[in-house]
Amino acid sequence: MTAITEFSIAVQKRVGRQRLLKAFKVLLGSVPFIFLIILWELNTQFVWFDPIEIPPLSDVWGAIFFLQSDCPGFVAAMQQHNDCNLTNNIMSSLGRVILAGVVGIPLGIAFGILAGMNRTISGYLEPVGIFMNSVSGIAWIPLAIVWFGVGWETTLFIMLNTIFWLIFFNTMMGVRAVPKVLVQGVQTLGGSYYDTIKHVYLPGAMPSVITGMRMSLGFGWRALIAAEMIGGDSGLGFMIFVSAVEFKTEEVFLGVILISLIYLISDRYMLVPLEKWTIERWGLVWKPT
Amino acid sequence: MTSIDLQQARLFKWKKFATEGAGRLIIFLVGSIILWWLISAFLIERPDRYLPSPLSVVLSSADMLYKGSLISFYSDTLIRLVIGGAVGIAIGIPVGLALGLNRFVADMFYPLMNFFQSVSGIAIFPVIVIWFGNSDTTVLIVILYTSFFPIAFNVLSGVRSVPVRYIQAARTLGASRFQVVRDVLLPGAMPSIAVGTRLSIGFAWRAVIAGEMLAGRPGLGNMIFSGQEFDNTAQILLGMVMIGVTWIVLDHFLLRPLESDTIERWGLVQR
Repeated sequence: MTAITEFSIAVQKRVGRQRLLKAFKVLLGSVPFIFLIILWELNTQFVWFDPIEIPPLSDVWGAIFFLQSDCPGFVAAMQQHNDCNLTNNIMSSLGRVILAGVVGIPLGIAFGILAGMNRTISGYLEPVGIFMNSVSGIAWIPLAIVWFGVGWETTLFIMLNTIFWLIFFNTMMGVRAVPKVLVQGVQTLGGSYYDTIKHVYLPGAMPSVITGMRMSLGFGWRALIAAEMIGGDSGLGFMIFVSAVEFKTEEVFLGVILISLIYLISDRYMLVPLEKWTIERWGLVWKPT
Repeated sequence: MTSIDLQQARLFKWKKFATEGAGRLIIFLVGSIILWWLISAFLIERPDRYLPSPLSVVLSSADMLYKGSLISFYSDTLIRLVIGGAVGIAIGIPVGLALGLNRFVADMFYPLMNFFQSVSGIAIFPVIVIWFGNSDTTVLIVILYTSFFPIAFNVLSGVRSVPVRYIQAARTLGASRFQVVRDVLLPGAMPSIAVGTRLSIGFAWRAVIAGEMLAGRPGLGNMIFSGQEFDNTAQILLGMVMIGVTWIVLDHFLLRPLESDTIERWGLVQR
């Protein structure tokens, strides 16, 4: 046995084979990214494309400090000081997502449960949900501009609209899939109307509500970026659009990277674990297609 | 006696018609149009600007039909969707297959594909505009981008989900590499190809609308956007209804049956 195999066996015993495999996968997955970054750097070295088309990596990094250059400090950034461009835009985008979520998710769940409990009503409302989800997001932007003008109301409306209809539709379908037997069981045992909602409909619909939340973040975030580009006055979408008009490509690249990172992180580390936990806890009543 | 029975039967028939299938849809459509008309007629000030009545939307559609702009906008959008989607899917399936063939390569490219799948086409739109200007190419590239990554990612993970046992069995029976791809991997990945197609076209449809709005190319997206610019709210509503109805028709009569048929035919491979 050579020294190398001995060493590798020792390492496998010490760290554990599964964990090593996982680390190897992460390492392997980062190879294309590193390759892309190297290509990018080579491009700045040999200028295959103009810097105006593909800015150097260092400029993209520098754009963070350029945008934040007059920012007095962390506290001022949190208070949305006028000179903290980047953090202001990030916070206004995130704030809209959170505000729309806080208003839209409970509303969607409440109306979804009320509509889903009655089979006739939910039958009539199902086409509404399908239609509203089909016209979702981007197509509403011009109408929202007519209604609310250019500004935060428009972008908030777009986000709220996407979130509400997706949650409403998913909750309604989830509630409808709850077996009647369970509801009748609770009622026979003396449960009130409120009890059936709290103990049967809500938990039964939970997995599809969470699926609706994931979908609404996916569609809503895209729609929000588009809404900020067309009818907004702040936010990451607005930032990249204005920077593109001014041909500040490095700011555009920075914005695009930030937009995808924010989405990836919030989906991977908040909603996916939440979905997994909910399905484990309450089971999969209705499997979304 | 018999007349009462008849009456009851009629009532029952009417109830069945009203609560099931097509009858329900018709009642719902008529009801929502009446509701829309009531709101625009009595609840809202200046309905021309904020919510025109259904009649004026129909009139505006007749006007646009007469001028010929509606059909040309509609066909422009559909042609863009078909070209962009078809090219994206045609490139995406082979790329996904090629990357999925080797477990090592698949592991390597999985995070990259996952990353680009979640970078939305709308977000990279400003970059593409800087590269190609406000042209048809820009819109096509955005559609291509949005439809390429979901399908490539899905095919990649579909190929990977085919159990190694099946590949080994085919190999033991003397199958060549090409035969393994054709007879094992491709059918095994078929369900995820169908799912990916539907996802791709769904994202592409939204990207078409956004791309046309932002780049200002003629199409449905531009139609609703110019409706906002020229204060022609009826045109916006018409465009929105057309966008929604087109997607519903596309989804329910083409993509969803395709998906369920594929899953039924090739099934989920036993894990």
